[in-house]
Amino acid sequence: MISQFFILSSKGDPLIYKDFRGDSGGRDVAELFYRKLTGLPGDESPVVMVTTGGRRHHEGRHFIHIRHSGLYLVVTTSENVSPFGLLELLSRLATLLGDYCGSLGEGTISRNVALVYELLDEVLDYGYVQTTSTEMLRNFIQTEAVVSKPFSLFDLSSVGLFGAETQQSKVAPSSAASRPVLSSRSDQSQKNEVFLDVVERLSVLIASNGSLLKVDVQGEIRLKSFLPSGSVRREVSLFPGYGPGIRVDEVSFHSFVNLDEFESHRILRLQPPQGELTVMRYQLSDDLPSPLPFRLFPSVQWDRGSGRSTLEPKPRSLNVRLHLPLPRGVISLSQELSSPEQKAELAEGALRWDLPRVQGGSQLSGLFQMDVPRPPGPPSHGLSTSAPPLGLGPASLSFELPRHTCSGLQVRFLRLAFRPCGNANPHKWVRHLSHSDAYVIRI
Amino acid sequence: MTVGKDVSALFPDVVNCMQTDNLELKKLVYLYLMNYAKSQPDMAIMAVNTFVKDCEDPNPLIRALAVRTMGCIRVDKITEYLCEPLRKCLKDEDPYVRKTAAVCVAKLHDINAQLVEDQGFLDTLKDLISDSNPMVVANAAAALSEIAESHPSSNLLDLNPQSINKLLTALNECTEWGQIFILDCLANYTPKDDREAQSICERVTPRLSHANSAVVLSAVKVLMKFMEMLSKDLDYYGTLLKKLAPPLVTLLSAEPELQYVALRNINLIVQKRPEILKHEMKVFFVKYNDPIYVKLEKLDIMIRLASQANIAQVLAELKEYATEVDVDFVRKAVRAIGRCAIKVEQSAERCVSTLLDLIQTKVNYVVQEAIVVIKDIFRKYPNKYESVIATLCENLDSLDEPEARAAMIWIVGEYAERIDNADELLESFLEGFHDESTQVQLQLLTAIVKLFLKKPTETQELVQQVLSLATQDSDNPDLRDRGYIYWRLLSTDPVAAKEVVLAEKPLISEETDLIEPTLLDELICYIGTLASVYHKPPSAFVEGGRGVVHKSLPPRTASNESTESPETAPAGAPPGEQPDVIPAQGDLLGDLLNLDLGPPVSGPPLATSSVQMGAVDLLGGGLDSLIGGTNFVAPTTAAAPANLGAPIGSGLSDLFDLTSGVGTLSGSYVAPKAVWLPAMKAKGLEISGTFTRQVASISMDLQLTNKALQVMTDFAIQFNRNSFGLAPAAPLQVHAPLSPNQTVEISLPLSTVGSVMKMEPLNNLQVAVKNNIDVFYFRTLYPLHILFVEDGKMGES
Repeated sequence: MISQFFILSSKGDPLIYKDFRGDSGGRDVAELFYRKLTGLPGDESPVVMVTTGGRRHHEGRHFIHIRHSGLYLVVTTSENVSPFGLLELLSRLATLLGDYCGSLGEGTISRNVALVYELLDEVLDYGYVQTTSTEMLRNFIQTEAVVSKPFSLFDLSSVGLFGAETQQSKVAPSSAASRPVLSSRSDQSQKNEVFLDVVERLSVLIASNGSLLKVDVQGEIRLKSFLPSGSVRREVSLFPGYGPGIRVDEVSFHSFVNLDEFESHRILRLQPPQGELTVMRYQLSDDLPSPLPFRLFPSVQWDRGSGRSTLEPKPRSLNVRLHLPLPRGVISLSQELSSPEQKAELAEGALRWDLPRVQGGSQLSGLFQMDVPRPPGPPSHGLSTSAPPLGLGPASLSFELPRHTCSGLQVRFLRLAFRPCGNANPHKWVRHLSHSDAYVIRI
Repeated sequence: MTVGKDVSALFPDVVNCMQTDNLELKKLVYLYLMNYAKSQPDMAIMAVNTFVKDCEDPNPLIRALAVRTMGCIRVDKITEYLCEPLRKCLKDEDPYVRKTAAVCVAKLHDINAQLVEDQGFLDTLKDLISDSNPMVVANAAAALSEIAESHPSSNLLDLNPQSINKLLTALNECTEWGQIFILDCLANYTPKDDREAQSICERVTPRLSHANSAVVLSAVKVLMKFMEMLSKDLDYYGTLLKKLAPPLVTLLSAEPELQYVALRNINLIVQKRPEILKHEMKVFFVKYNDPIYVKLEKLDIMIRLASQANIAQVLAELKEYATEVDVDFVRKAVRAIGRCAIKVEQSAERCVSTLLDLIQTKVNYVVQEAIVVIKDIFRKYPNKYESVIATLCENLDSLDEPEARAAMIWIVGEYAERIDNADELLESFLEGFHDESTQVQLQLLTAIVKLFLKKPTETQELVQQVLSLATQDSDNPDLRDRGYIYWRLLSTDPVAAKEVVLAEKPLISEETDLIEPTLLDELICYIGTLASVYHKPPSAFVEGGRGVVHKSLPPRTASNESTESPETAPAGAPPGEQPDVIPAQGDLLGDLLNLDLGPPVSGPPLATSSVQMGAVDLLGGGLDSLIGGTNFVAPTTAAAPANLGAPIGSGLSDLFDLTSGVGTLSGSYVAPKAVWLPAMKAKGLEISGTFTRQVASISMDLQLTNKALQVMTDFAIQFNRNSFGLAPAAPLQVHAPLSPNQTVEISLPLSTVGSVMKMEPLNNLQVAVKNNIDVFYFRTLYPLHILFVEDGKMGES
């Protein structure tokens, strides 16, 4: 069972500290955790760790933590519990706190301390998880969220994806992202909005001879609803159209989803609670219906130490970056790029080629020349050998493809069976996005 | 919350606000009380009245809030006032109040267990198991099983087919968190036959597609455990295997933290049932942006899944990994290639050529790792790949890590007859002998002796040099002893020396890092918990011994005997183990003299004996619970009271006992010693003994007689699990070797903290005694009175 829960700021200050069992050494456990975490070599964060050797109270204590928006969410336990459960709980808590306080961050947490403690009391009793459903908790929560800034709902220019943690995180947070989900009781004039995102992560591995070793797509459909709950019957029907040409290998649905019409018409019905939920998760591997979004033609010549690569993106894409680890000791780089807005530089022993905006169907090329110091060793093994020296590649691409799904899955319609009570029709937003998880081309 | 300031001084003022009607304010006041009541116990009493009043409030939120907060105030004086309100709330009409009250019973039990039992709350809690609201059921079950853990003997959470059925029904209705709890409960149940197991499996299978990974893993645990009872011939068994793969694969698309936990579990599952994931090799391919801890786990699983069918694919991947930048990962990848060669015989040749390619890169750490694994390949396939030795020798100078140097020296020594300049090579190492690590020194000593035995004429000087370095100039006892042994062997009987030093070595086993089967079976029962992440049984890391009940997989009891095929042996011995391939543990012992790449064996005598017994046991079966570190009761310092005024088994003090009658404070009856193990059955060792109880400590008085012609040493003793958890509290100490016809008397202190298993008859005790000759087993009955404490109560509840 959970002994303690705490939230630490990125600097290690405890923002929230809750002891459920009274069997722990007190607050300094949080400090101990932070010391242990920062004392680790490298940037790896272990999932579970035992503190041994400290004071008596900390013997055999297990820490399980996640990092979310720069905060550490940590639970400790002294028993043999399920780490899956705890990790899952932590990510739910992150969502929940986001739903109630607006966005999750150091500022919002410290402004809403009372609310956070109230939530924790309802979510966990004596270390047992009670519920993590936003809807259920509504009945018990009294405190109002304190928000710092007014919202402008129509500031649509900055609408980004509330859920997709895109790799660049350059998308400005939308109004949806920083607004508490629960409409305050006093303010009934809120807009009714529903956001639906189809987000896919693409992992690809291409061998040096150009053959495709592995492809898989992990997708999810996420819904964030601001529809007021109450006596009104709300029902959302989704039509994630995937026809005969499109298939998925693995699907799982949220337990709220009614699948009666899924087999026959591919319709998902659900009564969404306020807040965010993942309606459907799916996975597709090996056999993509559409061609890969990028093709990279690397060619490397070793006599002079130059390399040319040609990139052919299919759909329009944003924030494309090619990352190519280089042999140790590369000193200089000269480049020839096909358009001025591209940028290439050496950073941390790797070449980084940034292409902020790429038109679909175009072909881009870059020629890079660099000097590689002669490896130490007998002179007979000089650079004249055809084998590339160790440390070059593999090249990896990161990118975002707005309005594109690699699996071909599209949400055809989003229908709300909803009787407006004095308000205008609810706004519906449907967005599709693919981004790279690991798009690797071996050289 | 208060920015670190202590605001306990405001206690009276805050308590004054308690009677407000504003729920928001009330919650804040209660929050304050929870935090500060402990520091102001006297003032906390002031709040009691309001608590009691709030427990009767018409608003269920306030009733629940009051009962929840009262439970969190860990002040003894308050608990007695809590009982009445709690009793009412347990029967409240509102499920929210009932579920809060159920947890409150667990809280109260933690503070004052006796009170909870006296007040009859446990019975009320049991009734709540059949409540109409699933949330209440889940909380009641959670509270009960936590209370049950502190009373291992009580049947608080009694599982029978009816209650299992109830739980399975509740499984479909309750929240995901409740489902986890119910599934964990199910995993503790042992179905009576394979039909029942199958029907439970069928009802649990739908949970595999749940979005919450904790639910999935708990379901996997139940299925893995109950599968043990199903016959492999059943169609259903195959269906189940197929159903298990997709959810495990799906877990790997989660966040890296979850992936890591999932991979640690998959590692166990793959070792137990490799067939589940044998077609899923690709999902374990490493992504460049995986965190290193995920990468290493994936690598490990890839090797476990490697087979003839997919080895080409695996090798191609591993070769790619070996050229990456991350040094740790590259090293592991190179090792992995070696492990593939050892595991899949058909691929050995390809692996060796891959390793040679990697050696050609001349990257220092790659070369060193490659040499270490090539040595293992030589041991697995002797006289097959010696052609590569020349290439290896080219890299001799670049080796700077002890393990790689030791491996290279071993290769040179082992194949000295084929290496023309072996003496020069070894001599070059000898120059800096004293700067080398122990590992290298030992290896060098052995290698030069081998060389001498193979080419005696030209290396006489070299061997004398190394022997004198090892015996005269070294402070290391291991090195010195080994040096002397070689020296004497060589000087007294060179033929014998040849037989000893150049003896044929046992082949190394296919997989040296498999988890030992009994431990693996135990860990399978803990899938999805911390134990499965650490790969250690919970007893190794859970404090205070709570929840340290050993779990084991259910035995196969088929209702239909004819379906049982003889090949489906129970878990334990892995099938297809060749007798000529000795397991990892034995490897250490069998080859101690020759290959010393591991750390020097300098553990306590008990530890070594456990290893030996483990090895014996693998061959003979039988007392399986004796082996392995898991059931091994480490000698505790707390329980060594045998010498406290108690006669230590000498004849004189026995006499003293009889004559005075007050020699023992307790005056407990001591039966005369009986012969437990006749010399005929134990290669000359005769054991007779009796049990005594002296001032709250139990001991076993033993008399060991050596009736054989050789000296006996290295005694150790171990008990099988028994009804009262009797276990030796200290190792068996026989200080001097027991020479022929000598008798020694020993008093062995016993404790009752060992693992418990009901025996037939109840006081049956199975004992294993080990000495340098063999391991002997015997059984005896112990008188029950030794368990009674002097004041008339049972010592062990």
